[in-house]
Amino acid sequence: MADRAEFLEKIRHRTRSGRYKPTHAPDVAWTPKSEPAGREEIEDPPTRFLEELEALGGHGRRVSSPEEAREYVVSLAREKGAKLLVRWDVEELDRLGVDDPLKEAGVEVVIWRDLGDFREETARADVGLSTAEWAIAETGSLVLTSGPGQGRTVTLLPPTYVAVVAVEKVLSTVPEAIEKYAGGGGLPANVCFHTGPSRSGDIEMSLVTGVHGPGDVHVVLVG
Amino acid sequence: MEMEKPARRRDTDDRRHEGITSEVEGFNERGRRAVQDRELHDAVALATEKFVTGRNAVLNALPDAPELRERAYRIKQETIANLDRYLEQMADAVEKRGGNVFFARDGEDVVRYVGELARRRGAKMIAKSKSMATEEIELNRRLEEDYADLGLEIVETDLGEWIAQLAGDHPSHIIGPILHMNRHQVADVLSGVAGEKLPPNVEQLTRFARGRMRQKFLTADIGMTGANFGVAETGTVVTVTNEGNGRLVTSVPPVHVVVMGIEKLIPKFSDLSVFVQLLARSGTGQKITVYTNFITGPRGDGELDGAEEMHLILLDNGRSELLGTEFEEALYCIRCGACLNVCPVYRQTGGHAYGSTYSGPIGAVITPLLKGDEEAKDLPHASSLCGACTEACPVGIPLHDLLLKLRNRQVEKGLASKAQEIAFKGFESTMKSPALYKISSKAGRLAQKPLMQDGSVRPVPGPLSGWTGSRDLPPLAKKSFRELWKEGI
Repeated sequence: MADRAEFLEKIRHRTRSGRYKPTHAPDVAWTPKSEPAGREEIEDPPTRFLEELEALGGHGRRVSSPEEAREYVVSLAREKGAKLLVRWDVEELDRLGVDDPLKEAGVEVVIWRDLGDFREETARADVGLSTAEWAIAETGSLVLTSGPGQGRTVTLLPPTYVAVVAVEKVLSTVPEAIEKYAGGGGLPANVCFHTGPSRSGDIEMSLVTGVHGPGDVHVVLVG
Repeated sequence: MEMEKPARRRDTDDRRHEGITSEVEGFNERGRRAVQDRELHDAVALATEKFVTGRNAVLNALPDAPELRERAYRIKQETIANLDRYLEQMADAVEKRGGNVFFARDGEDVVRYVGELARRRGAKMIAKSKSMATEEIELNRRLEEDYADLGLEIVETDLGEWIAQLAGDHPSHIIGPILHMNRHQVADVLSGVAGEKLPPNVEQLTRFARGRMRQKFLTADIGMTGANFGVAETGTVVTVTNEGNGRLVTSVPPVHVVVMGIEKLIPKFSDLSVFVQLLARSGTGQKITVYTNFITGPRGDGELDGAEEMHLILLDNGRSELLGTEFEEALYCIRCGACLNVCPVYRQTGGHAYGSTYSGPIGAVITPLLKGDEEAKDLPHASSLCGACTEACPVGIPLHDLLLKLRNRQVEKGLASKAQEIAFKGFESTMKSPALYKISSKAGRLAQKPLMQDGSVRPVPGPLSGWTGSRDLPPLAKKSFRELWKEGI
């Protein structure tokens, strides 16, 4: 077993005693040939978000009220013939009030709290429902954070995944989203930038969706 | 951790079976065979072309890409120059968040750590997401052999890696592990697992894989990943996958083990914005990978999923030997695969011809550096030095310069073949003397006469066969440029 102090000392010694100092700036011509125009302005982040998500094969809709969002989720579950929906245990989703209408539609609802074995319930679910901490317009990504009530597998195991996100949460760019967590302390145990349906091009570069994660991804922007 | 390990078989059959540590020498022979394999050639051409087209399009749409590349180089320069400090910071941060940290000198250390961990946990199954570092140390085979008594099942969960594992094959590209196989070959492999004939339909084959793999994710005792980046400031490990397997193996099993090369560190969380923007664009031509997953320690209080126990293994395995040397920049690599896709040699031969875990230009550079010049003598020559690799690299590693330096090191160590040595010496003195140059080009025109066939120079026996064996050379011009110039062209 390598001793930590010894391991680090070896590296310290090599970095300090080495004579070579890399000075090679990456100065060769690089592929991008565009004028140094600066980053493109995203004028309407929610619209751009929905466009990007659609381009990846996801589905997005902007609605003006929580009622419409609720209706979207319930009809999605119906359309999929869902028997079980698993959702995050967060206040926004309590307020959304999907549980009763879903039950009326014959869809069992499991809330992410006090689960015996989360694997069993979540793997059986047809639909996963969550919110998101942020969304990113330029890539069509959701920023998902873990925490009590916010199971990672809710967004991952069911074949259909839907997120309900307040429109104010849409940021423009990836660097903006990263900055939200920069600076050290308070980082959740898991943050995930989730961008559209799970996909693979491993066989002959043919794009297939829904490989291990959900192949059917929906985002409802509210407001 | 003390534990007698059973003697390991190291015979050639075994190596051939694994494929991964097959003799690295012999690129020429493998390359020649690969060039003649039409199916392979078409598959590699299709994939690399798609990657390159996608990459160019998304990078062109990113106006500050050149600036990001410059920043990426500077960040890596800073990290590697102070690697001891950042490693210590990373280890402290992970421990502070309740994770375990282990410094591994080599593959042996990793095998023992993971083996003992599996024993303690009573683990039966390890589900892995793609990790080049574990390929490099042949972790799967060694765990199965050295810890045979545990009866461990080790499953690769990336679709391509899984198919390669089932086929007894190994990845031929950093990000497209089975781009050398076509759908018929994949159908054959998966039919063997299914116990019935599966059609060569990509959609159906993928469905089958999803179903099979689902059970593995749900029952695995240990999830194992590599790391695309490690953030020293926060102790965060970043993995990117498109399929979601990287997120699954870190969310479902109770234990998460990360095997990360020590060079994968970056100082700050905000540095990620540079690398996250460059990685997917340079690799697959996406703006961002589907799942960009940031893991900081084990699950927090009140969380129901995510690993309860997290282990970060920081692997050296020869990397520290490069620190402070002229090869240091090879450690800046973020394993995007861009240099493979643009390399005219890789595009002709595919990855297996390199006979090493890492192929393409970066493989030709780091294989001799990590394994020794003697082990990979041919690789620094598996390049036309056209510089496309250097140009494609999103962190600005001067790859073709490094290949030249490696060739030079071979000559200094007396490893270069006699013919090469003479050729390079001869070249040097000829180029220094105009008179000799004049004579030599005339002599060359005379000497090639017997070799001419249909207007090109055919394969010759003897010391030049290494060069002409796989190439038809255009003949030397009837008159040299010098001669034409004198005659007023």
